[in-house]
Amino acid sequence: MRRADLRHHATLGIAVVASTAPLLWALASSFKPVNRIYDPVAPPWPVSFDNYRVALTGFPIASLLGNTLLMASAVTAMQLVVAVLAAYGMVRFKVRRAGLLLAALTGALVVPTQSLMVPHFLMLVELGWRNTYAGLVVPQLSGCALAVLLLRQNLLALPPNLFAAAAIDAATPGETLWRVVLPLLRPAMSSVGILVFVATWNEYLWPLLAVPDTDHATIQIGLQSFMNSEGANHGPLLAAAMLSTIPVVAMYLVASRRIVDAFLHSGLR
Amino acid sequence: MSAGIVLDGVVKRYGDHVALDVDHLAVPRGALAVVVGPSGCGKSTALRLVSGLDRPDEGRIWIDGSDVTDRPPGARSLSMVFQDFALYPHLTVAENIGFSLTLRAHRPRLSRASVDAKVSSAAALLRIDELLHRRPSQLSGGQRQRVAIARAIIREPEVLLLDEPLSSLDAQLRHHARTELLRLHRELRSTIVLVTHDQSEALSMADHLVVLDQGRVAQAGPPQEVYDHPATTFVARFLGAPPMNLQSRDGLLLGWRPEAALFGAAPPGAHSVAGTVDVVEYTGDGHLVTCTAPTGPWSARVPGGTPPPPPGSALTVHVPAASLHRFDATTGTRLTG
Repeated sequence: MRRADLRHHATLGIAVVASTAPLLWALASSFKPVNRIYDPVAPPWPVSFDNYRVALTGFPIASLLGNTLLMASAVTAMQLVVAVLAAYGMVRFKVRRAGLLLAALTGALVVPTQSLMVPHFLMLVELGWRNTYAGLVVPQLSGCALAVLLLRQNLLALPPNLFAAAAIDAATPGETLWRVVLPLLRPAMSSVGILVFVATWNEYLWPLLAVPDTDHATIQIGLQSFMNSEGANHGPLLAAAMLSTIPVVAMYLVASRRIVDAFLHSGLR
Repeated sequence: MSAGIVLDGVVKRYGDHVALDVDHLAVPRGALAVVVGPSGCGKSTALRLVSGLDRPDEGRIWIDGSDVTDRPPGARSLSMVFQDFALYPHLTVAENIGFSLTLRAHRPRLSRASVDAKVSSAAALLRIDELLHRRPSQLSGGQRQRVAIARAIIREPEVLLLDEPLSSLDAQLRHHARTELLRLHRELRSTIVLVTHDQSEALSMADHLVVLDQGRVAQAGPPQEVYDHPATTFVARFLGAPPMNLQSRDGLLLGWRPEAALFGAAPPGAHSVAGTVDVVEYTGDGHLVTCTAPTGPWSARVPGGTPPPPPGSALTVHVPAASLHRFDATTGTRLTG
C-alpha cells in the first residue's frame, strides 16, 4: 500500500470510529440489564431484552413511527415536486431577474429555521391547523431551497443541446420535462429525496410546536416524552432510540447503492 | 431556382457585440449550402437563428416562402444535427430516432406500428439497423452521428441543419462521412445547411457556398465561382490550402494561387515572380515550395515528376495573366478583370 493510501485509510478510519462508536455503544447498552448499564466496558452478554420489553409497552412505537413516516414521505414528495418544477423553470426558461432569484434561494439556506418558527406557528394557529397532519407537513415545504439548488445544479450539468434537441423535435416544455428531464434527473432526485427524508425524519422542534397531542406526535417527540415519563431510566430509552432508527437504517441499506450512484453520476455526460 | 431559406436584414447582437449582420442571403431550395468561416464569424449564430433556437434582433427569416421569424423551432419544418449530437442518453437508438413522432405536436397521430416502420426505414437509410436497441453510450462517434441524422430526417423536414457534423469524427471517418452526407442529400432532396470551419470540407461538399467574416456575408455562390473569383482578399486567403499569395504591386494587391505557378520558360503575357527557396514540403502528389522575396514570402506547387529546387536556390515562376487576381490595396475588394 502506498503511503498516501495509508494516510487516507487512517483518516477515514478515525472518521468511521468517531461516527460509529457512540452508535455501537448505544446499541450494546440497550441490551444490558439495568445493573450493568452504567459500566461502559461491560460486555452486553448475556443479552437481555428487558429494555425492549419496557420500551415497547410504555411507548406507542407503531403510531409514532407511522406518523413520522407519513410526515417524512409527504414532506419529501412535496419538496421534490416543487423543487423539480422550480429548477426546471430556472434552467429552461429565460427568467427575469434570475440572479436575484438565485440570491434569494441561497439566502434562504442561511436563514436559521428557528427564526421562522414564530411566524410559522402564528400562521398555523390562524389556519386552525394545530394538531393536524396538514399543519405538521405543509409548513416544512419552506425548507425546499436546498432541493431547488441541488436539482438546478444537476440540470445545468446536462448538455444544453438536449433542451435544444427537444425543442427542434417539437416537444412542448411539459413533454421535455416529463420525457427528457425527469428520467435523467432521477438519480439526483433520489439523492436529494434521501437527504430531505432523513432531515425531516430527525426534525424535532416543528412537530413539537405543530402537533403537541400524542395522536399526531412523531418519533422524536415520543422519545422526548418517554424520557420525561421514565426519568433517568436509560436502558428503555436507548432501546426506544434504537427502534426509532430502524426505518432510516433500513432505507440506507436498501438504497445505499443508489445513493453512491447518485453522487457519482451527478456530472452526467 | 426558388429560395429555400432567405435571411432579410437579419441582425443578432449579444450585448454590444454584433454576432451576425446579414443584408440578404438566399439559399436555393434543395441545395446543400455550406456556411464557412473562421471561429467567431457568426456561422453557428446563423444556424441557431434559422432553427428558431434564437431569435433575431432585427429582420425576417423565410423558409420555403413562409415567414417563420415568429415560429418556434418545432413549427418550422426543419430539424438539426448538433455538433455534440445531443442524443437523449436515457433512450435507445430506436426511441431517439422516433422521439419526435410520439409527441403531441406531431400530425397525423401515428400508431406504434407506423412509428416503428418509419424508424426502421430511417435506420436502414443510415445503415444502423443493427443498433436500434443500444443506448447512445454504447455507440462510437460515427454511429452516434448516424443516429443523430436519422433522428433529424425522420419527420421528413424541408430543411436539415447540420452544425459542424464532421468535427467530432476522427480523420479516417471524416472522408467517409462526407460522401455519406452527399449520398443522403441526393436521396432526401431537402435543403441542407451545413456549418463548418474547414474550408476544404466546404469546397468539396457545397453546391452553394456562403463565406462569413465577422458576422457579415463576405461572399455567397457556387463554390467554384467563389474559389475562382474571390470577392475579397479575406475570401481569397480563407479558401484554398495553402492560401493564395498576395503581393502589393503598382498600388494594388496582386493574388495568385500556388498551383497556378508555371516553371520553365515564361508564356507570353505571364507575370513573373522571383525569390529564394526557403522550405520544400513533400505533399504526395508533388512538392510545395515556400520562397522568400523582398515583396514578401510566397509559395508555389511543384507538380509530381518535376524535381523540386533545393532550399537556398533562386527560383522564378510565371503566373498566366488569366490566373491573376487584382484587389484594391486599401479595401481588399476585388477589382474586375
